[in-house]
Amino acid sequence: MLETFKSRKTIALDCTITLPACWVGADELEDALRRSHASPHDSGVYSILVEFPTKCKVMVDAAIRLLSLINQLDHCAKRVRLAFEEGEAGTMGYLNRMGFFDNLSRNIEVLPDWPSISGKRRYGGRNASLVEIERIKRDHRDGTLLTRLTDSLMSTCGDRQDASDLKGAAWTILAELIDNVFSHSRTPLDGYAALQPYSGGGHVRVAVSDSGLGIMETLRPALKSEFPKLAVLSDLELLVEVFRQGVSRHGPDRGCGLKGSAAKAIKFKADLDVRMPTNRVKLVPAHGMYQVNTAYCHDKLPLIWGTHLCFKISLKT
Amino acid sequence: MLQNIVEDMTTANTTIDAQPPDVPMSETLELKAFMKGSSQGWGRDQGRAIYGDLLTLVENKSGTLVFFVSLTGIERMDISFASESVVELARRFRGSKAFALTDIADADMIENLEAAAARKHQPLVIRFDGSTRLIGLQPSKGNIEAFQFARSHRTVRAAQFAAANNMPIANASMKFKQLWEQGFLLRRESVAESGGVEFLYFRIG
Repeated sequence: MLETFKSRKTIALDCTITLPACWVGADELEDALRRSHASPHDSGVYSILVEFPTKCKVMVDAAIRLLSLINQLDHCAKRVRLAFEEGEAGTMGYLNRMGFFDNLSRNIEVLPDWPSISGKRRYGGRNASLVEIERIKRDHRDGTLLTRLTDSLMSTCGDRQDASDLKGAAWTILAELIDNVFSHSRTPLDGYAALQPYSGGGHVRVAVSDSGLGIMETLRPALKSEFPKLAVLSDLELLVEVFRQGVSRHGPDRGCGLKGSAAKAIKFKADLDVRMPTNRVKLVPAHGMYQVNTAYCHDKLPLIWGTHLCFKISLKT
Repeated sequence: MLQNIVEDMTTANTTIDAQPPDVPMSETLELKAFMKGSSQGWGRDQGRAIYGDLLTLVENKSGTLVFFVSLTGIERMDISFASESVVELARRFRGSKAFALTDIADADMIENLEAAAARKHQPLVIRFDGSTRLIGLQPSKGNIEAFQFARSHRTVRAAQFAAANNMPIANASMKFKQLWEQGFLLRRESVAESGGVEFLYFRIG
């Protein structure tokens, strides 16, 4: 299998994204994207290879961000191949169980091969602790989606004293973020949501990803008329205000959803990672709020359509 | 942030039958009946759909001034849903009808209602855990005493507050008028002892 993997790797490709042989969250995925010699969305790139080496373990935020990117590239008629060095015994099996391949375009080539059976169909619903990627379809709102996502949290964190608060916070965060996708993303491509507790790392990742216009693209045109004072802010400063005071293109009555979600997440000392088409902002709470001086911004990143958010909620007391 | 005004609810009116003649007509409605079988209030679209149904019902109850909205059977409600449904309804009828929320599932739901009400500068009376609270917009410092005075009476006139606090009636009237305009109180026109027009103010919930 290893030989096959290596031999395929020698084929000339326009863009190769090699994930590291360790836990891969959004940070590691972004590093891998930066290391690739071309941006996968570049007009001259027609073929993309994503490599998953042995010991590579993809976390939910990276999984749905990658899933969105791959489906975007397929939508642009680019050839995309995913190469799993360990085959189904490794991270491919884990991704299969969480429904990654059920949501992947069938045009994508998978090496050594597509999973023989859908993991979601095989395991789905049998084990409450099994995390599944949930599809956000704009034309069909599944009323049980939020409960499915948050129930998996209780199988791991149900014994905590603050379990009820944690579940309530996770439910509201997901409800608001997903509703935002329904309301704002304006895309034919589906969005994705996932929640996964990582007991070893002492945190829960709550991630929502869409392939729409991006939060700044929808917000900035409305700033001049609705919030002229905010129009001069940088993306980083504006994003802090979106989550601190609530800013919506629909005017001052709106915007309370993202603000309220952030307030709930901050109670659990949650970092917030927001990936926009070509930049990324990480917000770290200080003194009970997100602030500009504790935010980190990365510019000029390889293009990924849409908005991709991940709250990293601390489970440490 | 539930630091808001907390009161004993033992004197609160609850049913149509128990009300004295000068207390506004009240009625209880079950939000669950508008939820099309769902026990979760999720998102702006669902909130708006329910707002439309609630609006029709409230407009058809011209004699009822206070609606107790029971949240029995509602397990969760996000901020956007709360904003577009019950909070928007309270804002729409501010000054003419009022809404008090009862049978709330937990503190998490109160937090979401509070965030939605604060955003729309709408005061909202809720009953939770045996007490009545005001969430959302709070009375200004200058009006808090008048508000608390009004909350301690079923009905009250500005003249009563003026006499109790040794202040000009015009001053007391202004405070009560502001509280009414902002949605903290209801009022009805009445005849003063002098024969002139005077407003009778009612607490909500």
